[in-house]
Amino acid sequence: MENAVDTIIGVSVTLKGNIHNKGSIQVNGTVEGEVKSDENVIVGETAKIKGPVIAKKIEASGEIRGLVEASEKLEINPTGKIYGDVNAKTLIIKEGAIFVGKSIMPNQPPAEVKSKEEPKTVVPEKIEDLDSDDKHGFFSKK
Amino acid sequence: MYYYIFDLKKCKKKSLVTDIKNYLSFLGISGEFTYPSTAYNTKELVELGLSKKYNTIVGVGGDEVANDIAGVLCGKNEAMGLIPVEPSEDLASLIGTRNWKEACDNLRSRRIAEMKIGRTANGGAFMTTLNLDLKVPTAVTVEFKDYIIQAKIKELVISNYHVNQSKIADDYLDVTLQSVNEDSSAIAKISSFLGLNSTKAKDFSLFRARSLRLFTSSQIPLLSNDHQIAKTPQLIESSDDNLRLIVGKRTSLATSGPDQTVDQK
Repeated sequence: MENAVDTIIGVSVTLKGNIHNKGSIQVNGTVEGEVKSDENVIVGETAKIKGPVIAKKIEASGEIRGLVEASEKLEINPTGKIYGDVNAKTLIIKEGAIFVGKSIMPNQPPAEVKSKEEPKTVVPEKIEDLDSDDKHGFFSKK
Repeated sequence: MYYYIFDLKKCKKKSLVTDIKNYLSFLGISGEFTYPSTAYNTKELVELGLSKKYNTIVGVGGDEVANDIAGVLCGKNEAMGLIPVEPSEDLASLIGTRNWKEACDNLRSRRIAEMKIGRTANGGAFMTTLNLDLKVPTAVTVEFKDYIIQAKIKELVISNYHVNQSKIADDYLDVTLQSVNEDSSAIAKISSFLGLNSTKAKDFSLFRARSLRLFTSSQIPLLSNDHQIAKTPQLIESSDDNLRLIVGKRTSLATSGPDQTVDQK
């Protein structure tokens, strides 16, 4: 995450609306809306985002309430809190981080879903008379 | 054909004015020398120069005369020159020199760079930076195309050209602001006192946009290097057209080499 940052939202700054950048975005303040970057999004310790965050790489040290989509990597640091679903190719959750939501890995084949119902024992309705077909006399009583 | 506008607030020494005129004559690029007055301000003198078909309007002074000339010449084919006298660091970097003699030599070489300028809705123009003149921390709202930001700030600078900052695109303005951290909890104060957190760096914000609207609860002046060019509320945007500026070799602007299209006599 060492790319030059194009937009920095400082602490005590509130942004309302959607921000979409080609370059990286660093959030230390409050955002109410979508944060989208073609590069990286760095969510600082003091940041609070209420809305989706979409980028190539996302580093979360603050709070995000919404969908988080990282086409490459999502890293949730010890101070990071994510309340929402996560869609990331690589997901790193460090000790102390909070993540409440579902996690999906893109480009992965869907996992086999096993039925919650117990397998049924199929019992044939009619038991055929095996003796009638016993050409070789295996079942004949001696 | 050169038309010179001397800012006498900057050129306080008569000998400096004489030296500049003599050197221009020595280089063979002398022309008409004018001075802003109550009859004609700088912008009106530029219009007068254009009506007389001069193809190069040269300001002699600092940022104020430069901004006034740039505002009129932006989007026109006529070139702008500047002989700097006490320019800001940004302006000196823009034209590639802070030395008046070297700037005169550059006028003769006529290396042209095209650049956008910053404009305000009231007709003001700025080549380098625009500052909100804040005496105390103030709540501001800045409206961009897709979002608005709100903060209590102690500094706000809108840069068209800044010596220490590279723009992402020629037609973008950089908006930097230093907000006031409103976390006044005892722990935060103690942490700050002990230097345990880097709130100073976190107070800094940077936004880039072609245009923005700036609102404050009361009218606050917008200054370009101590010279007021507008007041809030204000629409500020990057110009649609280019300014043709004569620059030196050390400018950070891209140049297209010496201007061959103009008769320099």
